[in-house]
Amino acid sequence: MTRYVMVIDLNTCVGCNACMAACSLENQTPVWSDHWRTYVHDRESGAGNSVRRHFIPRLCNHCSNPPCMTVCPTGATYRTSDGVVLVDESLCMGCQACALACPYKARYPYTHADIKTGKEYYGALRRKAPSMDKCSFCHHRLKVGELPACVRTCPGGSRMLGDLDNAAHPVAELVHNGTAKPLLAHLGTRPNVYYIPQR
Amino acid sequence: MSWQFPKLTRRRFLQSSGGVAGFSLLAPTALASGETQGGGEVSKEQVYSICNFCSSLCNVQVSTETENGVKRIVKLDGNPHSTLNRGKMCARGQAGMRQVYEVDRIKSPMVRVEGSRRGEGKFRAVSWDEAWAYIAERVKTRNIHPWEWTMVGGWTSCVFYMYWAVPFALANGVPNIVASPMQHCVASGHLGTDSVTGNFNIHDEVLPDYDNANYILFVANNASIGAISTSRMVRFAEGRKKGCRVVALDTRLSETAAKADTWIRIRPGTDLDFLVAMLHVILDEKLYDEEFLKKHTNMPFLVARDQNGAWAIATDAAGNPRVIQDRSGEVVSILPYSNQNTVDIHGAPVHPALLAPAGMLLEGRPVMTVLQAQMAEIADNTPQWAAKTTGVAAATIIQTARDFAAAGRPIVDPGWHGARYANINMLRRVQAMLQALVGGIDRKGGWIMSGEYHHKVAKWHEAGRTLPGPLMTTLAGVPFVSELVKAISNPKTFPHGRPAWAFAFAAQERAAGREAVAVPALADTGLLESVTGKLIYNGEPYLTRAIVINAANPVRHYYPDTQWKSILTHANMELVVVVDVLPSDTVPYADVILPNPTYLERDEPTIYGNGVNHDLALTTRFSAIDPLYDTLETPDILLGLSKVISGSIEPFVKTLEMLSGIPAQQTMAAYEKYRAQGAKSPYSRACRDVAFATTAARVHTTPEKLHLSLKQHGVHLEVSAEEILAHHAMPRQMALPTTSGRLEFFGSLFVWLRDAMGGKGPSFNVLAAPIPAACRPGKTMDQPLEKDEFYFTYGKTPTISYGSTNSNNPVLAAINRFKKDIYTGVWIHPERAALLEIRSGDRIRITNTFSKQQAEGTAYVTSQLHPDAIFLHSSFGVENKALRLSAGIGTATNKLIPYLVEPVVAGFRSQEFTVRIQKI
Amino acid sequence: MEIMSYTTQDMWTWWFALYLFLGGMGAAVIVVSFLTHMYLREEKELVMWGALSGVAMLGLGSGMLFLHLLHKWAAIYILTPWGILHKPDSWIAWGSQFILWLQIAAVLFALPFMVEKPRLLRWPIIGNVLKMEIVRNVAATAARFQTLLGWVAIITGLGTAVYTGLLLQSFPAVVLWHNPAVPILFTVSAFSTSMAWLLIVMYVFIYHRVDHTIRALYERVDIGLITAELVVIYSFFNYTLSGSESGYRSAELLWNDSGWVLGFVVCGLMIPLVMELRCVFGRWTGKVPIVTASMLVLSGGYLLRHYFMAAGVYAYPW
Ligand SMILES: Nc1nc2c(c(=O)[nH]1)N[C@H]1C(S)=C(S)[C@@H](COP(=O)(O)OP(=O)(O)OC[C@H]3O[C@@H](n4cnc5c(=O)[nH]c(N)nc54)[C@H](O)[C@@H]3O)O[C@H]1N2
Ligand SMILES: Nc1nc2c(c(=O)[nH]1)N[C@H]1C(S)=C(S)[C@@H](COP(=O)(O)OP(=O)(O)OC[C@H]3O[C@@H](n4cnc5c(=O)[nH]c(N)nc54)[C@H](O)[C@@H]3O)O[C@H]1N2
Ligand code: SF4
Ligand code: SF4
Ligand code: SF4
Ligand code: SF4
Ligand code: SF4
Ligand SMILES: [Mo]
Repeated sequence: MTRYVMVIDLNTCVGCNACMAACSLENQTPVWSDHWRTYVHDRESGAGNSVRRHFIPRLCNHCSNPPCMTVCPTGATYRTSDGVVLVDESLCMGCQACALACPYKARYPYTHADIKTGKEYYGALRRKAPSMDKCSFCHHRLKVGELPACVRTCPGGSRMLGDLDNAAHPVAELVHNGTAKPLLAHLGTRPNVYYIPQR
Repeated sequence: MSWQFPKLTRRRFLQSSGGVAGFSLLAPTALASGETQGGGEVSKEQVYSICNFCSSLCNVQVSTETENGVKRIVKLDGNPHSTLNRGKMCARGQAGMRQVYEVDRIKSPMVRVEGSRRGEGKFRAVSWDEAWAYIAERVKTRNIHPWEWTMVGGWTSCVFYMYWAVPFALANGVPNIVASPMQHCVASGHLGTDSVTGNFNIHDEVLPDYDNANYILFVANNASIGAISTSRMVRFAEGRKKGCRVVALDTRLSETAAKADTWIRIRPGTDLDFLVAMLHVILDEKLYDEEFLKKHTNMPFLVARDQNGAWAIATDAAGNPRVIQDRSGEVVSILPYSNQNTVDIHGAPVHPALLAPAGMLLEGRPVMTVLQAQMAEIADNTPQWAAKTTGVAAATIIQTARDFAAAGRPIVDPGWHGARYANINMLRRVQAMLQALVGGIDRKGGWIMSGEYHHKVAKWHEAGRTLPGPLMTTLAGVPFVSELVKAISNPKTFPHGRPAWAFAFAAQERAAGREAVAVPALADTGLLESVTGKLIYNGEPYLTRAIVINAANPVRHYYPDTQWKSILTHANMELVVVVDVLPSDTVPYADVILPNPTYLERDEPTIYGNGVNHDLALTTRFSAIDPLYDTLETPDILLGLSKVISGSIEPFVKTLEMLSGIPAQQTMAAYEKYRAQGAKSPYSRACRDVAFATTAARVHTTPEKLHLSLKQHGVHLEVSAEEILAHHAMPRQMALPTTSGRLEFFGSLFVWLRDAMGGKGPSFNVLAAPIPAACRPGKTMDQPLEKDEFYFTYGKTPTISYGSTNSNNPVLAAINRFKKDIYTGVWIHPERAALLEIRSGDRIRITNTFSKQQAEGTAYVTSQLHPDAIFLHSSFGVENKALRLSAGIGTATNKLIPYLVEPVVAGFRSQEFTVRIQKI
Repeated sequence: MEIMSYTTQDMWTWWFALYLFLGGMGAAVIVVSFLTHMYLREEKELVMWGALSGVAMLGLGSGMLFLHLLHKWAAIYILTPWGILHKPDSWIAWGSQFILWLQIAAVLFALPFMVEKPRLLRWPIIGNVLKMEIVRNVAATAARFQTLLGWVAIITGLGTAVYTGLLLQSFPAVVLWHNPAVPILFTVSAFSTSMAWLLIVMYVFIYHRVDHTIRALYERVDIGLITAELVVIYSFFNYTLSGSESGYRSAELLWNDSGWVLGFVVCGLMIPLVMELRCVFGRWTGKVPIVTASMLVLSGGYLLRHYFMAAGVYAYPW
């Protein structure tokens, strides 16, 4: 069995936003509405001489126990056998319950208006219906053996993807040996995106 | 954290109105995004190209889809075959495909509407024939002479079309070229580094081997690393993952500094003091690589003061440098040009001493080694001394020096963007010296010069240090620059007997007893005077009356904006031609706009080297789609202009053969063929065909095989870095193209500038020494500022190139909205902001205390910078409303920076003043 | 992580509060009126008013939700009964079914009374519909299964009222929502507001057509419900003040907001409680005080949900 996990090394993320750009173009997201499947936050902590600057990429955590899926009334949100949480746009009615349920702010609405603009913008829009949208781990790429668009382009090599069930994979190892840690683990969502804290 | 009732605002994305009439009137010749109907068969294809958004020159893979006969670009990625960017790309590169589909693109040639003034931006679309006729008519009726033309080129015109642009100028008798990266970047910053290493390639930035370094010191770097140059970032990330220690000297917590183990918050303009103190410590404590210095640098050379008290190499009668034999103390002459000091002029072994005995006399004059002279020069510049101005504890400076020297494989990054202060030459020079002190040049974990550069220098050596072939394509390093400078500064180059106005102006200034720029090569000093009739040459005005601006945006990129606006709108200016893809801030000042196809629509006219890559490789662009609009490629435009200026294309074509090795006959034959076929840019296509043939011959393959290799991989690897270093590492294996062939601590380039070009003052010091930044007349950097007074600093945003038109890219514009406060705000420290009662989001006015220029901005209060400084990103402040997504956003540097240049190469002193901040 | 940020959501806003408010109240109105009719006294007027106003409220509330769906066609998946088989874990799936069947059951339950009511038959359109043969047949059949229909309505109605709270409870990131007291609070509030609404109906529209004892009973029950609500609110106050930053910030948002403190707690709970107490103890007589108190309870019911939605604080590690 495959279980996809992403590990993000905060030591080499420089906040270049290439992942945001790559993702939006790969997945035809509505940048004109300021919605993205992934964001890179640029935050400050501390003050005076101990001030620090943090770049924190975020995306759907592909939770193994996803509250977004539980609340979804139509079954549009589902989990694949390889551990990726997806939204079936033909089933989704866009009630947005999943967005409120998600503790990681991973979801946004892809509206009728967005589809209209998207057709002009992308020329040929793959999407046919509005729905909630979020990171898919680029499942369409994983299926053909390619890395997600954001991982592929990340100049910091900060974003890495691997199979947790393949213990020999370097990414899996980072998770298994505790180097990489999940976000908000106490909520019981069992996220599959892990972060290597900045040293 | 207030909860609001539903927001109904949705950002208008594709507005249909607004902007300059001339642009929005244009109906696209094809649907901007090539919209398709229905769902036909989709066929996918991949081609390779080169990114066009910064001189990192990343190799790109372009994915296209064809549906119902319409081919669209759907995605860009880093080319996985590329050892330069290793399959990665930054946000600008990723978003690059949107340039093709930009709704605001220039879609056909345009001519300024009769009766309107330059700057109003009123244009009407015309055909190419009409555009050419318009230019020809102007040149004829206004009687514009070749020397009255000036060419302005941006970095893309330089990197991709220099082989055409320089011959174009020389062939048509145009001595005047302004290259927009020079005064900011290439000339002003790199000159210092190059004086030590002899490097000078087109965009000669050195790519250090971060992969294998274990200590990296960054000095005023950010966009060149983390924010972002992809080829550097991928290597830096590897190094950091392996545990490399990183120290960043920056006035603010930049993206790069945020990834450092230690961020040293230095006072702006004082980096040189810090580095000179480091040099002091390393020399004083003998922490350098002694054997390397003895063998491969001019550190052991003997120097003495000449009759004017100036330092000079104490050569023998034949002009050979001399060193002291270690142990025996004997003075021996060594080869004037060599990569090493191991044999004397007679071939006997030499082991030079680094230190001459105290009080040593040679031919009656006191002499010492370069190392000793250097130590004496900076004897007072201790860490304690530097602590005062830099605001950094002496202990930190000492520690940095010791850590750097002890690391084993340390790198002090060479730095990229120049300008800022008059001392930037010296700063970058000291950086090169520090790197040389530890022997870290052209070796694993140090600075490694590019494969292409090694290749050219090796060929030059093989040819006995004479021109190995056509000047443009085969010569590299300082010898190349000096050839170019000679050509444009020498009145005899042209039949009309005029040098470039920049040199004429320098001579006029010198004659008037004023300070002049020593080498104003490709700089803009004197242009205003030439346009306004204040430049007199041989008793008559040397006027500039026509200008062609290709892929450059001087109104935005030069300082101040008013200077270029007055140049372009002056009554003497008869013709302004602008070649661009988007309506930049300069475009409204054109009489004629000639549109290029965007980079993804282009098959380039030749095959290029692989930029700063350590490997020797070839690359080129393959067009992903046919040009969407009525556009022409640069070589065809230059050909057209040649017809107008010289009445014939013959001189151009001939000069091309001579300087760039593009065989005239074959190219013309192919050109006629393509023209007959009605091809869009027939001349560019012809050049490309010929380039494949000549390059294939050079790399011993067939044009077909070379084509296939490039088509399939986008890069054609010739020689790996390992192999290059094994045979051609400089200076270990091969002499550098410096005057002496060694790494030069004693700067022969500055000896020339001082003695031959009349350079005076600390900027022309032949040794390293501090040059204080002069931000306030009569005051040192550490003296307290007024309550509302700040040093001015700027830097680039990861998402924008320069102040370029890609700020209008919808993807990048959206990222910039997301990080609006950080990217478009004016950074100010909370302690200082509190005193002025300024809070984040407040509108503020910034006033230059020196020039009184003013601009407004939005405050972003953050502890991430030095309290003495404000910081803003130099990427914003677009004025032209035809750039609908970026006009009016942020604060423009070109509205705050006055015209202030340093005396060596006219580098902009773009931070050498203070500003006042006021809440409005 | 060194960085945390705390924000509220802006997707489910006032319209969703309205959905929760009308949904809970509408369901409770039906339940209360039907239970009254079935087990206290026969009150056909009350049943008709309860059923029709309850169905209208549910319709209006669901309409709010429907209007805000991104893709309205796909709502079909939650309206077909077998949808629930796919998604038994989703409260919205249950809630939608409850609301659907509740509305059907409520109308059918009231239909036999409606077809006999001359005043209704004189109404345009509705009168004509009620006179249709098929409708009269349906009414006749419904009359035969009235108890069953009543219980269907009561169960789905209870379900709906509880569901409005369960829905919020299923959002784990927000401490204010993610606790079992939310369904209790919302259910209590639903019933309290339903009492208030029915009191208004009884005092204003059908004063002479219902027995006074019902009014008296409702007033007393409402006093109990409001008291219970105050207790729950107080316990929320305590609960959110310690334990997590998300909860603490919710408490800050709520208790620093006059809309919550004055609008909801004081005007929506305390004042009507006092007023109703005075009415019950006979200090105040006449319709005005009790109708005023009821209106205050209604506005409080909306404000509760409004501020509850607004004050849900997410804690993000960036
Ligand atoms: N305000 C500001 N000014 C700066 C800087 C800054 O950060 N801010 N940075 C400085 C530095 S370091 C440098 S190197 C220089 C670089 O300055 P330039 O070399 O001038 O840089 P670009 O912005 O790439 O190019 C300018 C113009 O080229 C156009 N262009 C893009 N693609 C094409 C094309 O395919 N064909 C043609 N014909 N035109 C094209 C753009 O629309 C733009 O108007 O700028 C310097 N000036
Ligand atoms: N995103 C992006 N990347 C680019 C480019 C681009 O346009 N956009 N252009 C490319 C080109 S042509 C160039 S020249 C390079 C430029 O790359 P860099 O030379 O790295 O230039 P900047 O990012 O402008 O400035 C670097 C840092 O200098 C700091 N600084 C300012 N003043 C001082 C000072 O006095 N002392 C110290 N220690 N620090 C100071 C600023 O805070 C900033 O963080 O970037 C290349 N990469
Ligand atoms: S692409 Fe990589 S380095 Fe750049 S912001 Fe995204 S995660 Fe960070
Ligand atoms: S918005 Fe779509 S995916 Fe989300 S809960 Fe509703 S139906 Fe499911
Ligand atoms: S991160 Fe959010 S959207 Fe993604 S699976 Fe988890 S709960 Fe669902
Ligand atoms: S995995 Fe794919 S969908 Fe998810 S953030 Fe990365 S590029 Fe976007
Ligand atoms: S660093 Fe970015 S903008 Fe520069 S060439 Fe590479 S991908 Fe293009
Ligand atoms: Mo530059």
